[in-house]
Amino acid sequence: MSSKRDDDLERELRADLELEEEEQRERGLSPEEAHFAALRAFGNPTTVREQIRETWWSTRIHSITRDALYSLRRLRRSPGFTTVVVLTLALGIGANTAIFTLVQQMLLRSLPVSDPSRLYRIGDRTHCCYFESFEGDDGDFDLFSYDLFKHFQSAAPEFDQLAAVQAGGGGFVVRWQNAPARPMRAEYVSGNYFSTLGVNTFAGRPLSSSDDLVGAAPVIVLSYATWQRDFGGSPGVIGSTVYLQKHAFTVAGIAPPSFYGDRISPFPPDLWLPLATEPLFEGANSALNAPQTAWLYAIGRLPQNIDRTALQAKLTGVLQQWMLTRPAFTERGGLKEIPKQHVVLSPAGGGIQKLQEQTGKGLRILMLLSTVVLLIACANIANLMLARSMAQRTELAVRVGLGATRARIIRQILTESLILSFLAGTVSLAVAYFGSRAILALAFPISQNMPMSPHPSPAVLLFAFLVSLFTGLLFALAPAWISSSAQPAEASRTINSSSRDHASLPQRLLLIFQIALSIVLLSSALLATRSLYNLEHQKTGIETANRYSVQLDLEGAGYTPSRLNSAYREIEDRFSALPGVARLSFARYLPLEGNEWGSCILVQGRPTPGPKDNCFADWNRVSTQFLASVGVPILRGRDFTQADQTGSLPVALVNQAFASQFFPGQDAIGQHFGVNGPEYAGAFQIVGVIGDFKLTDVRGLAKPLFLRPMGQEYAGYKTPELQAAETSSMYMNRMLIQFDRPQQGIEQLVRNTMAKIDPGIPIARVTPYDNILAGNFNQDRLLARLTEAFGLLALVLASVGLYGVMSYLAVRRTSEIGIRMALGASRSQIVSLMVRTAAIQVLAGLLIGVPASLFAGSLMTHLLYQVRGNDPFTFIASVALLGMCVAAAAAIPATRAASVDPIRALRTN
Amino acid sequence: MVEYLPSAFIEGRTSSMTKEQAKQRANLLQGTLDMLILRTLIYGPAHGHEIGKHIQRTTNDFLQMQHGSLYPALHRLERRGWVASKWETAPDRNREFKYYRLTDKGRKQLLAEESEWKQMVDAVSRVMWPTAEEN
Repeated sequence: MSSKRDDDLERELRADLELEEEEQRERGLSPEEAHFAALRAFGNPTTVREQIRETWWSTRIHSITRDALYSLRRLRRSPGFTTVVVLTLALGIGANTAIFTLVQQMLLRSLPVSDPSRLYRIGDRTHCCYFESFEGDDGDFDLFSYDLFKHFQSAAPEFDQLAAVQAGGGGFVVRWQNAPARPMRAEYVSGNYFSTLGVNTFAGRPLSSSDDLVGAAPVIVLSYATWQRDFGGSPGVIGSTVYLQKHAFTVAGIAPPSFYGDRISPFPPDLWLPLATEPLFEGANSALNAPQTAWLYAIGRLPQNIDRTALQAKLTGVLQQWMLTRPAFTERGGLKEIPKQHVVLSPAGGGIQKLQEQTGKGLRILMLLSTVVLLIACANIANLMLARSMAQRTELAVRVGLGATRARIIRQILTESLILSFLAGTVSLAVAYFGSRAILALAFPISQNMPMSPHPSPAVLLFAFLVSLFTGLLFALAPAWISSSAQPAEASRTINSSSRDHASLPQRLLLIFQIALSIVLLSSALLATRSLYNLEHQKTGIETANRYSVQLDLEGAGYTPSRLNSAYREIEDRFSALPGVARLSFARYLPLEGNEWGSCILVQGRPTPGPKDNCFADWNRVSTQFLASVGVPILRGRDFTQADQTGSLPVALVNQAFASQFFPGQDAIGQHFGVNGPEYAGAFQIVGVIGDFKLTDVRGLAKPLFLRPMGQEYAGYKTPELQAAETSSMYMNRMLIQFDRPQQGIEQLVRNTMAKIDPGIPIARVTPYDNILAGNFNQDRLLARLTEAFGLLALVLASVGLYGVMSYLAVRRTSEIGIRMALGASRSQIVSLMVRTAAIQVLAGLLIGVPASLFAGSLMTHLLYQVRGNDPFTFIASVALLGMCVAAAAAIPATRAASVDPIRALRTN
Repeated sequence: MVEYLPSAFIEGRTSSMTKEQAKQRANLLQGTLDMLILRTLIYGPAHGHEIGKHIQRTTNDFLQMQHGSLYPALHRLERRGWVASKWETAPDRNREFKYYRLTDKGRKQLLAEESEWKQMVDAVSRVMWPTAEEN
């Protein structure tokens, strides 16, 4: 700052002003009169000085720091105000940043591979995991057999490379040296997987096309996290032998730390292995060798300038041509469906959008709602700032009178707002961190190495910065507007007697806006909460309390099918003998665990259904105690017994939905049906009908299901593939332990007991069945909890906002109230007068808010269960809830205003 | 840096003049203040007070400005190099004032502004008093 320049200016202005004064005196004015006349003729010297100084660069910088220091001093002087503003904003910005953290990682992030924008997938759906026929009703294909994938590869040289990845993920028991056997998640990929994605390895080498040939030495690539956790990060792992189930594999390399595969998942693969090794595990049941079994996604790398529409049409042609050669698609009316079948080429830079498809919609709604929260917070703070700037009008007027330019005052207000919003932005990072951690825990309660973290990335920091900037500018608007109209003359008046009421209108509008938005949040919260309640308290048809799911793998432990029966019997005996165990049973998979096996049902004596006929039913294989242990009743006929084994009559139990779909108006018991082909239509005899229960879809009705007994293998299949599939279904992957009362330390108990039977049987996970059931509602719970939090926040903010405005109005109207009371108004009349003022705004807010929340409800409809988006109860309840809160918020200041002593009220002026 | 001339630089202050009129007059004259100052300095160096007084007197008080408004303009002209300043003792008063004098650059600027203004006035009068022009 050049003080010489300042002095010079000072001296010049003083000299000229004195001259003017002298001239006035020479005209005969008294010295005092001359002084004021000179000032009038000259104008405000401070203003002149300020105007000149503002054109100096150094002053500009200087004044910015001065504004900042002044603002900080002001804020320190009112710590209550500062704290409230910073906390309110931090919650608002933090909620948005937390949700953005997830949005960014889930929806905006690209795979950590080279040039992800050139990755494209054939298909835009996420069907899973094995299909044998047409996919979906609209003919949109995305899941392919290996044979079809090969056709794509040779027909589309447009792709630099085209890789295939398994749609579902499997698990293996992995043994390495003397370490205990571990269950790991694996994904089959084509040999060019890593080179297609452009991913190298952290150590060792990636898979190559030569690894993916029949007869090649079996190799795997481990994920970095798994290498660290289960292999101690030892470099000696590379080139060493690990056993998957009982097959020896060589570890070729370790994937880079950042690489989590081709999609975001709560359980990313622990290892990748070539497609060619699939028959090692599956034998005759191999999907790779079944030309029609669709189980792969195709993802490829395209050159920059390629006509994707033409390529898509070409690939659709390949699909249809291929179908024409497959009897399963052409027979029984399939032929006329083929022209409808097509593929869509979709960008795959973000990976396969499986999780995004499941959670993206909910996340977008949450983003919308968190924005609403931030708007409410802004409205509240704008209101606070308004009230504050009204209180400071005298100060402002004095500053204008002393020569502060308007630009200067507005800049100072802006500085203060921005300081507040950036303080809040900083605090909000903590809110965002814990917020997104909580959201992740709610959304994915069980996960391992999930590639999502609550740590703020540069993108998130930038987001928080921009949101802070935006909010700072937003809530500075109102006070800046007020102050820009400050008149020096106002300094001489008191606030109460001011005839002009600048703040009143914006304050009221902000309040209306707040109430409208609060109703939206409240009704959304109520809708989501009711939906969650309905989901959690629905009749799923199964009992889960005190039951534990144990994930076990006898196949991985090396048990041959012939040893299974005795092994399961021993496990059953040993566990049943434990204290507190009521029942023990086995199943291939458990209801509502996310797994599902289905088949087309062929009823004996009926024509074979065509490919588009609805013949689908789920099936499961269970032990004799299973139905009793999940509380499913036998409605008619009999349960399975120990006598239902290989060699005796193959039997099945069906649920009511099955009976009414396939045997309407008939007795299902005694009927025969089969799967896998018309020649097996007489395979199973129905011996009983059981109650319906939900298997995967918690929202829909129970679907047709048939059960087969654990130890009974159907020996009549005529091809080795079918017989191999039948044999592999003899392995039970789940054990269900039912206790007679709540228990502690189950996992250790299970592991110890199992180790005594055979330490080679690995146990992947022991989970309370209640938690598995609850896992079906993760998204709903997330939505409900977050909207509840948002709704509560909105309610508090709206109430505080109304309270503030009412208190302010009450103070402003003190003298009016005094006069009214002096003229004979009763206290209750005063209260109702005040409350009426509030009521108008609340009503206006509702008028806007209710249609807005109906709209929000319609957006949520597809996420809701057994409650409509326009559910009248919800709206009445949210209006009532808000009404009660604002009534209290309005009544307190109104009562206080009415209790004022009329004499004192009149004397305030 | 953006140069600007707020309309408040020249502002009427006679009570008969409404705020609106003053604003209009100021708008009309926006940008001409520089020219008026430069023209005033043709007669020789002057300090701010003298310049203000001169403009006011010459226009028969039509342009009554708060003298203070001149200074931002003077400082701006100085930074552009159109005027130069020096502290000198006034002949009639026994103390120093900051005297501004026209530089060569300022003289050129004045000529440019003057011809521009003439063209403007010419053009405006052709529209306003066409008959007088014909006669």
